Amino acid sequence: MSSYTLGLIVLVYVFALAGLSWLGFRHTKNAKDMLTGGGNMNTIVMALSYGATFISASAIVGFGGVAAAFGMGIQWLCLLNIFMGVIIAFILFGKRTRRLGAQLHAHTFPQLLGRHFKYKPIQVLTAAIIVLGMPLYAAVVLKGGAVFVEQIFEIDYNIALFIFTLIIALYVITGGMKGVMYTSAFQAIVMFLCMGFLFFFLYRALGMGFTEANQALTDMQERVPAHLAQIGHQGWTAMPLTGSPQWYTLVTSLILGVGIGCLAQPQLVVRFLTVRSSKQLNQGVFVGSLFLLVTVGAVYHAGALSNLFFMKTTGKIAVEYISDIDKIIPAFINASMPKWFTAIFMLSILSASMSTLSSQVHVMGTSAATDIYADAIKNNEAKNTTYIIRVGIFVSILLSYLVCYVLEEGVIARGTAIFMGLCAASFLPAYVASLYWPRCGKRAAFWSMVTGAGASVFALLFLHQKEAAAVGLCRWLFGRDVLIEAYPWPVVDPIIIALPLATLVLIVLTYLQPKSNALIDKV
Amino acid sequence: MFGIPDPGVWLAYVLEIACLLFAAWYGIRYWNQDDTKNEHEVQHKNTKK
Repeated sequence: MSSYTLGLIVLVYVFALAGLSWLGFRHTKNAKDMLTGGGNMNTIVMALSYGATFISASAIVGFGGVAAAFGMGIQWLCLLNIFMGVIIAFILFGKRTRRLGAQLHAHTFPQLLGRHFKYKPIQVLTAAIIVLGMPLYAAVVLKGGAVFVEQIFEIDYNIALFIFTLIIALYVITGGMKGVMYTSAFQAIVMFLCMGFLFFFLYRALGMGFTEANQALTDMQERVPAHLAQIGHQGWTAMPLTGSPQWYTLVTSLILGVGIGCLAQPQLVVRFLTVRSSKQLNQGVFVGSLFLLVTVGAVYHAGALSNLFFMKTTGKIAVEYISDIDKIIPAFINASMPKWFTAIFMLSILSASMSTLSSQVHVMGTSAATDIYADAIKNNEAKNTTYIIRVGIFVSILLSYLVCYVLEEGVIARGTAIFMGLCAASFLPAYVASLYWPRCGKRAAFWSMVTGAGASVFALLFLHQKEAAAVGLCRWLFGRDVLIEAYPWPVVDPIIIALPLATLVLIVLTYLQPKSNALIDKV
Repeated sequence: MFGIPDPGVWLAYVLEIACLLFAAWYGIRYWNQDDTKNEHEVQHKNTKK
């Protein structure tokens, strides 16, 4: 496809986003509109926006690449995305969250926790974890989008990153939450159609049917490289050897980290505050589930089968043909799909990146501006809140942009898992308690969050081989990469340590202290 | 099953479809169920130590 046609398609897409963002801007009159879209969003918009926020370029480019390397076992993540991320999240968390939010007039996740426990330090701590931790996740999403633009347009990565950041900055700062939700719902439709097409066209590219292609991939088991077989790889249609390093990475980091972590994602939780009643959430369960199955399920499946395609066309498996796993999916799409689809697919990657990123920077900006600056520092006396939120969003985007320059190769999926694990360990016990455990008090919630965040950071810096070795603090202090070198500790994800610890602290402190002053009868 | 020999893998596919069917059933079953009318019943209590 000529660069002229490609440019035209992107231009139309950007104009559509600009129009929706303008619509959001027109309907944003006050801080509530800016934070939760006025609290009366439509079912379809809410569910699609939730799905699009959930599925980032990281899920497509990063985890699709992981599927190419690890195989179809990553489908468990798709299952957890649907089961935990939509069914459990909407039915068991969403309804109560919405009711609690309405009751407490909470418009952000930190406000929800802080006001429920009637303890401002909880609100500030939640906001601080978001502001400090989310730039890593936002940066990997940004990188995912920029890498794809770099590959497709064949332009310099730095230019791709800059343009990409600029577009997101413009429409999030102007459109607020309404702009974010309108654009992400539109982007979800683009993603849904593209991934659906990818799933069906994949078999045409391979020249095989569903079972035949899976069987051919199974038959490629002997092509697993020795270095992957050594760490537990048993082929692309089999789970890694139980207890092997690859099994720990796949199961504890990627599947559990992301699968459980998604329940306590501030940018997703805030979606529950944007609807008027539980009816919208009931209706959204199917829309969200279908969206995730088609988008995530298709790309993970395609990622694993890309090995078959590369073997047929180049005589090499995916990770031999392209060493950076973050570049496997873009390269596969480029090589296997019709040229016109490559351009359209690029829009779906851009959509995935933009929808997630816009929600991330919105949450970071509102946390910094509303929860820390306006609520905590100015004690709710700040004037012109919408302006402050816009400044907060701008600073968040700038921070994420800068973090992109310190990221190394193949970091997209891992960066996502780190942030989701941090969120789960820090927020999940207190969040669940706020919805279901009236006895839990503010100190138990606060120290549980401190423990979860602290244990996550400690495990990343001193226990988990990949991050601890990369940062080097443990080596500098103790002369070795990790504190506990005995297997499997260096490959056990921090969430496996931090989440139980945070939960334990919450339970013990709740039973040790007198009954809370933040009891609720039923939410 | 479907060319995938490991139950640890094909089970994930089967459960994905099961989740989708449940979501469809749930959405239809509770399509119009609303809870806003009960919202006034929800209240916070301050308990004295």
